[in-house]
Amino acid sequence: MDLTLKTRLEARLGDYLRGPVYQRRDETEIRIEPDSVPDVLRILRDARDLRFEILADLAGVDTGDVMQVVYHLWSPMTTDWLRIIADGIPRDDPRAPSATFLWTGAEWLEREAYDMFGIVFEGNRDLRRIFMPPDYTSFPLRKDFLLPDDAARSTGAGVRQVELGVRPTGANGDAADDIRRAPAS
Amino acid sequence: MRAGIGLAASYPFRLWTRLTVRQRLGMIVIPASVVAALITVLVIVLAGPPFLDFLNANLPLVRFAVAATAILMLTIPTAFVLIYVELKVIARMNLRVGPNRVGPWGMAMSVIHGLKVLSKEDFTPTGTDVTVFTLAPVVTYMASVMTLLVIPFAPGLVGQDLNIGLLYFFAMGGLTVLGLLMAGWSSFNKYSLLGGLRSAAQIISYEIPLTLSVVGVIILASTKTAETLSLNHIVLVQSGSMLDWFVFKQPLAFLIFFIAATAEANRTPFDMTEADSEIVAGFATEYSGMRFGFFFFAEYVNVFIVSALAATIFFGGWTAPFDWPWSYNLNWLHPGSLGLLWIGIVPTVLLFGSFFFAFFVRIFGGRAWGVWESMGLGLILLLVALGGLVGLAGFIAFDWVQGLTWFMVKTYFFVIVFVWMRATLPRVRVDQLMGFAWKWLLPASLLNLFVTATAVVLLNR
Amino acid sequence: MPPRQPAPRKSKARTTAATDAADAGGRQYASTDDPRIMLDRQVGNLYEPIPPYPPRTEREGEFYTLGDGEMFLNLGPHHPATHGVLRLVLKLSGEQVVDVDPVLGYLHRGVEKICENSDYYHVLDQVDPLEYLSSLFQEWAAVLSFEKLVDVQVPRRAEYIRVLSGELLRIASHTLYMGFLALDLGGLAPILYSFIERDEIVEMLAALTGARMLFNYYRIGGVNGDLNHEFMSRLGDWMSRAAGQTEANATLLNENEIFVRRTRGVGVLDRATALQFGVTGGNLRASGVPFDVRRAHPYSIYPELEFNVPTRDEGDSLARYLIRVDEIRESIKIIDQCLNNMPDGPVMAKLPRLIRPRPGRSWGAVEGPRGMMGVYSISDGSDQPFRFRIHDPSFVNLQTVPALLPGNLLADTMAIVASLDPVLGGIDK
Repeated sequence: MDLTLKTRLEARLGDYLRGPVYQRRDETEIRIEPDSVPDVLRILRDARDLRFEILADLAGVDTGDVMQVVYHLWSPMTTDWLRIIADGIPRDDPRAPSATFLWTGAEWLEREAYDMFGIVFEGNRDLRRIFMPPDYTSFPLRKDFLLPDDAARSTGAGVRQVELGVRPTGANGDAADDIRRAPAS
Repeated sequence: MRAGIGLAASYPFRLWTRLTVRQRLGMIVIPASVVAALITVLVIVLAGPPFLDFLNANLPLVRFAVAATAILMLTIPTAFVLIYVELKVIARMNLRVGPNRVGPWGMAMSVIHGLKVLSKEDFTPTGTDVTVFTLAPVVTYMASVMTLLVIPFAPGLVGQDLNIGLLYFFAMGGLTVLGLLMAGWSSFNKYSLLGGLRSAAQIISYEIPLTLSVVGVIILASTKTAETLSLNHIVLVQSGSMLDWFVFKQPLAFLIFFIAATAEANRTPFDMTEADSEIVAGFATEYSGMRFGFFFFAEYVNVFIVSALAATIFFGGWTAPFDWPWSYNLNWLHPGSLGLLWIGIVPTVLLFGSFFFAFFVRIFGGRAWGVWESMGLGLILLLVALGGLVGLAGFIAFDWVQGLTWFMVKTYFFVIVFVWMRATLPRVRVDQLMGFAWKWLLPASLLNLFVTATAVVLLNR
Repeated sequence: MPPRQPAPRKSKARTTAATDAADAGGRQYASTDDPRIMLDRQVGNLYEPIPPYPPRTEREGEFYTLGDGEMFLNLGPHHPATHGVLRLVLKLSGEQVVDVDPVLGYLHRGVEKICENSDYYHVLDQVDPLEYLSSLFQEWAAVLSFEKLVDVQVPRRAEYIRVLSGELLRIASHTLYMGFLALDLGGLAPILYSFIERDEIVEMLAALTGARMLFNYYRIGGVNGDLNHEFMSRLGDWMSRAAGQTEANATLLNENEIFVRRTRGVGVLDRATALQFGVTGGNLRASGVPFDVRRAHPYSIYPELEFNVPTRDEGDSLARYLIRVDEIRESIKIIDQCLNNMPDGPVMAKLPRLIRPRPGRSWGAVEGPRGMMGVYSISDGSDQPFRFRIHDPSFVNLQTVPALLPGNLLADTMAIVASLDPVLGGIDK
């Protein structure tokens, strides 16, 4: 647990932080608005006392109420992993700014998050499905996507597979429209 | 029918209806073959002498036909042997066992491979140019086989001793590329096309240093013989001892020749055309069954040919590496001198020899061997023993057997070297391959040619 | 593909046949009266990798538009040199790669979703087959993350055993990497020597864990069993000649002129680009960044061990290969230290049968053979992880392929992709 990191982060990112800097074991966690992701990431990477130069991970999270995009960063200046949670992305129309302008490698990670959660990363030049077939319509890692044999977990709900009729608006073209003509709901 | 025809007349029909299918076939085939035999004898008696006269009058033509057939027949066993050698040698180099299931030490493996290829579906994919697709393996295979025609296996044992033998060899060898290109183009597959074009670029590039490297040898040969392009004469020029071999007079030329020949035969490290990790199987991607088999055979025949040419031009061909003193005339062994007696001798020896060996098999093998098994093994043992005896006698008695032995020893040495290279070396890249040919091999071969020519002119003055 | 220009046939017989067919209610071909041309076009479309729907993104549309003299080559998903079921759509000009579009997902099983519906213990089963060549490291990352959630102290002996088995598996994976790189460059021998080496290690681990590939050995709070006699005797036997064997295997390639020429200066990934792509592992260290999770963010007992983090500045395929060879040497050193310092004690912490961690989030990352293997897990207080995110190094490393390939020859594709060491099981999750 790097206590100095907390003060450094608070000094640099004071306005952007939503909630306190949370530290546990070897992890430091901050929460930000999705809109401030580009600014925050740029500061974190380029600030001389932070230098978070390696994007360790980019993950989407569906909490059931909101979507999150979670970044893990590594810096030679600290012994902690830094976790940035871009919180409060609405589930109906999840969109977040892309991190590809800083880390080219975020492109596929964002494609994966889009594929699994439907989070639209604005600024990603190649945001299409990466694992699922192009005519697929659902987003499998969302919490309302239940596995067909998941009766045990959703008591009373039985077998229910959610096929998403509508995509988040502005999600650049799924092939599904052209192949399958998904029924509009 | 019975009502209409009397008992005596219906008898053969009743017999016929009672026969099984096999017996009916026999009733047809046996009389037919008797009639055919009679007709054959009649034809031989009537038309034989004039036909023989005709053959006598056109002896070169007959010789050519016989040699061509023999060489065509030779290629398949050669390919079988080479495939087995490659499987086994590479396996040993990779710390594996290699084929060991079919036949003794897995020796029948390549035969089984051949049968497998033969029994597979001959598949023509959609979109191919069917004519070209079908002809491509034939062209490749025939180009390989035709080069064998001028290679002197032994004194007197050469398909056709052309006075432009070497030129013919390179011309026919260059024809291989046509087949590969046809296969690549017609397969309607991009991997095939890439393979075909690679082979075209590669063989055209390496043909030049290959040919130029040999020109030095031709110049050297010209000091001793008039027919410098005849492979037979090039061998004769090198006869004597090991020191007369051209490899010692033209080491650089041999090096260039060997590298270029590797590329010419599409062998590792120059197997661009069928680079399996890059373009799947290259020109052969879409081929299956015996068409693929022809490509497969052609490749191994090519290896044999290239090795044979290396042995012929640079290592004295069928000449012994040193003066071979032990040679006796065993005229009584000549097939003609025993005449018709052979017809009696051969089956008798086979029968009783098999019994003889089978007896020992039964005694020493115990009950593990049944009667027929021990008879079979006895026959094999007898054949091996006889073959050894005949071979030894032939080696002593006939210079062509000696020559063939030396030739094969030298050729298979190079075959093993090719296999060794395949087991060891990675593949070079296309641009490196071409750059090597044009930047290094070609200047080196020109330099070699220049030095040789200058030396010959200066020394012969 | 052979150029197939539909030559307008004007032969009378054919025209009549087509007209007759049309008159009889047969199919009317649109623009021509020659059915063969139509067939050719259909076949042409069938064999092109162009997707049958309009481009989804600008980049896709740009990629699937052919320039002058260019063609597509569909490399994979079934190709001898794509390490599984990777599909690379190459845009070629002659043999030169102009652009490349990797297509993933042929092995996608939705492991993250499965893990979210499994017990914490069962998650460790699920993550094994991801990178099947180094399955202990996925377990390790998951275990690391879970242990932070559960707040459990792992016994020191268990940590030593983890490091010991992990480094053994790292050697096995790297050895195989050397062989496969050579195989993709056309060398037949090294792969077999590699497999012999790997088989010894894998048999050794089988004696320890009971399985050859999917070990399922690490547990939350320790490992699934102490060292046994067979493992130790095999390990001692192997350690006596490991260094020599490694040098021998490396010499097969290091001193091979063709191999060096095929890999030197090919696929150069410079330092800045590598950092931008988030590349980790040997691929990053070959570009001159000494980022090794074992040193950069130490876990387990690595702070106590002495080993170097080899780096190289060239960033080409050869450097990536040589880094692996150096890492094998370092791993042998680590194993030696583990064996010398192995403490006594239990190998499992005491934990309940059913784990219900407090709600929280944790990120655990280990240095696998291919780079940083990370797991981000969220607990909601139930017995199943609420979110289980697997960060696979091959996935990120493979992302550099579209940046590295253009300008190189088709043959270099294999030298580059193989040197990045992707394992499709992990990439496709």
